[in-house]
This record gives sequence, C-alpha cells and structure tokens, in this order.
Amino acid sequence: MIGSFVLLILAQVLLFNQINVFGFVNPMLYLLFLVMYPFDKNQTFYIFIGFILGFFIDFLSQTDGAHTIASLTVSYLRPIIMKYSYGLTSEKPKSLLTDPRKTNNFFFLLVFISVHHLIYFAIAYFSADAFLLIIKNSLFTIIFSLILILLISSLYRVK
Amino acid sequence: MQRILNVFVKYRNSILYLFLLSFSLFFLKANSSFHQLKLEKISLLFSSNLYSFSNSINRYFRLEKENQRLQKENEVLKSIQIKSNAPFLYTERYNNKTNFPFDVQKVNIIKNSFQSQRNYIIIDKGAASGIRREMGVISAKGIIGIVQAVTDNYASVISILNQDIKINVRFKNRTAFGSLIWKGKIPKKFSIEDVVSTSSIKKGDTIVTGGMSSYFPYGIPLGVVTNLEKNIQNGYYKIDAELFENPSELYKAYVIENSDFNEINSLMQNLKQ
Repeated sequence: MIGSFVLLILAQVLLFNQINVFGFVNPMLYLLFLVMYPFDKNQTFYIFIGFILGFFIDFLSQTDGAHTIASLTVSYLRPIIMKYSYGLTSEKPKSLLTDPRKTNNFFFLLVFISVHHLIYFAIAYFSADAFLLIIKNSLFTIIFSLILILLISSLYRVK
Repeated sequence: MQRILNVFVKYRNSILYLFLLSFSLFFLKANSSFHQLKLEKISLLFSSNLYSFSNSINRYFRLEKENQRLQKENEVLKSIQIKSNAPFLYTERYNNKTNFPFDVQKVNIIKNSFQSQRNYIIIDKGAASGIRREMGVISAKGIIGIVQAVTDNYASVISILNQDIKINVRFKNRTAFGSLIWKGKIPKKFSIEDVVSTSSIKKGDTIVTGGMSSYFPYGIPLGVVTNLEKNIQNGYYKIDAELFENPSELYKAYVIENSDFNEINSLMQNLKQ
C-alpha cells in the first residue's frame, strides 16, 4: 500500500508531469491510488489520505495547492459519487478491482476523474474569464487520465 | 457534552474535510500571489458587506451624537453664512470679527404653535447662556422671531406668526423696502406692506431681511413673492409672499446675538427723548 503510494507520487512527478501531450495535457495518474483504495474502509482516514497525496504532489511538482484541494474534495465526495454510480439499492461495492459491474465502474471513474480535474483546473486558473480554457484543459486531461487509469487498473483486476 | 461529541463524531468527515480544505487554501494563498490576490478580493467582498451592515447598525445608535455634532457644525457655518449674505457691507475687514457684530447660538425649540393670532415660541436656553431680550431667532431657511422674555434657562420668542410683529424686508437685487406681516391662519402665507408702487418688483422675487434693525443682519433669504397688485388709491403695492420654511414645524433654531445692540439701542433711546 505505502509502496504503491510512493511509487505513484514519484511516477506522477517525474514522469507524467513531463508528458505534455499536445503541449498542455498531463494525465494525472496518481488518482489511481484514490480510486483503487477499497470502498469499504474508513472514510475519515481516506479523506486524510486524499489530502496527503495531493499535498505531496503539490509539494514535489511545485504547484500552488490545486492538487491538494482537488484530491481532498474528490475524496470527500467519493461516497456520494459511489452512491450515484452504483445505485442505492444494489449491494455495496467493495472495491473497484473486484466489482463485476463494468458500466458502473466506468461511470464511477469518469465522474471521479471529471470532478477532480474540473476542480483542479478551476483552482489553477481561478478566474471566470478563463472558463473556456478550464473546460478545454479539463476535457482533454480527463480523456487521457481516464484511458491511463482504466488500462492500469484493468491489469490489477481480480477475476 | 455527550451530544456535542456525538455530533462531532457524526460529522467527523465533513469537519475533517473543511479543516483540511482551509489548510490547503491557506497553503494556496501563501504560495501563489495570484491566488492570494484573488482570495483577498473575495474576502474583501464578504467583509465589506459585513462591515457595511454592522456600520449601518452602529450609525443608527450614533445618531444622537452625530446630530449634536452636526448642529454644532451648522452653528459655525450659519454664523459664516449670515455674514456672507452681504459681504459688501463688511468688506473693509472681512475676516475681522469685530466688524461683523452678529454671532450665532444654537437652541432647541420646546414649544411652538400657530393656532392663535399671536403665537409664541419657547426655547431651551436663557440668560445663563447669554440670551437676552430683543435678539433675533433664525432657522435654517428663514427667520423665526424675536426674543421677548428671558429666564435663567428658557426664553420666550415672539414668533413671526404674530400679527404684532413687523419684519423689515427688502427684495433681492432690488432697492425696494417693505414690512413682512403674517396674514394669520396659514403659517407660510405672509403679506408685505409699505412698498411704494413706483418700485420695480416682479412675481417670484426673493425676499430677504432688510438689515434695518438690530435684530437681523442684512440678506437672510426668507421667501418669494407669489402675487402682487398695485393699489391705485394709496399708491402702495399689495404683495403676497410665501416663506421657504414653515415656522411652525421647526425644532432647532439659532439665536442671533448682536454685539452692537446696546450702542444702537442707546441711540434709539436718545431719539425718542
């Protein structure tokens, strides 16, 4: 657990922040940790992990604090996102890696990543004038992050 | 206490989230001057609204004090204003106070009436504050009367709403003189007498005090001419006038002190003998 945490931070900072697809898209792989974290664990601790993760990313990539706020918020919102992507009446999902409902898994990932990216870019630009820029950046980065996270999480999928 | 703890435990996620969020906002603010500027703008918006709200409440409670302060300020301004009505009369040493004998003191009107034909006003200052008989009393936009009797702390004033009193007036930018007399009944309606019909006066002319008495300085605006007719039989105008201010609706006034009053009065006494 701690190993993958450190590995993801390093991979994000050293590798994925330097990719610059089309000159501006840097997929955020570190969200993988937050989505793969088991759903039924302690939520309070999870919020704290979200904060620490964002903090380290910010600290190491020398950004202002947008990663911290975005990942903190998205980890606070995760139960709500789960509720809407898996439904209320069905059995509670245990983890993204074990749940068999593929559409729901995809939808969960999509919403989770979208919320995170929108918050991240909104904080990074922090101006109503940059609205279109925020949308454009979020859209492209969401696509790349989603593809990467889908691919890598499918490697770890438990059949 | 148990309940508070329960609430705390129940909402621990939200509390933790808000705590960490504020921490990261602080972090954001400390790191980036751009974000600092933006966040300060937002906080300024909030705090300015808050402060203007609390200020409006505070202002309400300070009204009494503020009122007194303004009255004091008005007293000073009034004394300058009555002088500025006729600068040509006091040109020689305009800034020298001895040249202009009038001084102003603010008073509150505690009783006022307009129902009878001879109305009186009571003001809340008397001999202890330097008020004496035959001082003029003016208001913001006109004159009110003349002090008649004085006790230590109060004084009675003959209102201009009194058919015994005649105020010496003239017309702004004209040479004609006249006397202002109350018609009775309506507080703002006056008539002007003793104006010779050869003088040129028009409807709408401004009436000002004439300065031919020791009560009022020259040039305090009083009202306008609303109607005038030539009376062929006696060669005088019949003029109706309306005051700027209703003397029966006042609560604050200024007493005009004329420091040359005794000199002028002794001359008048000599003439009478």
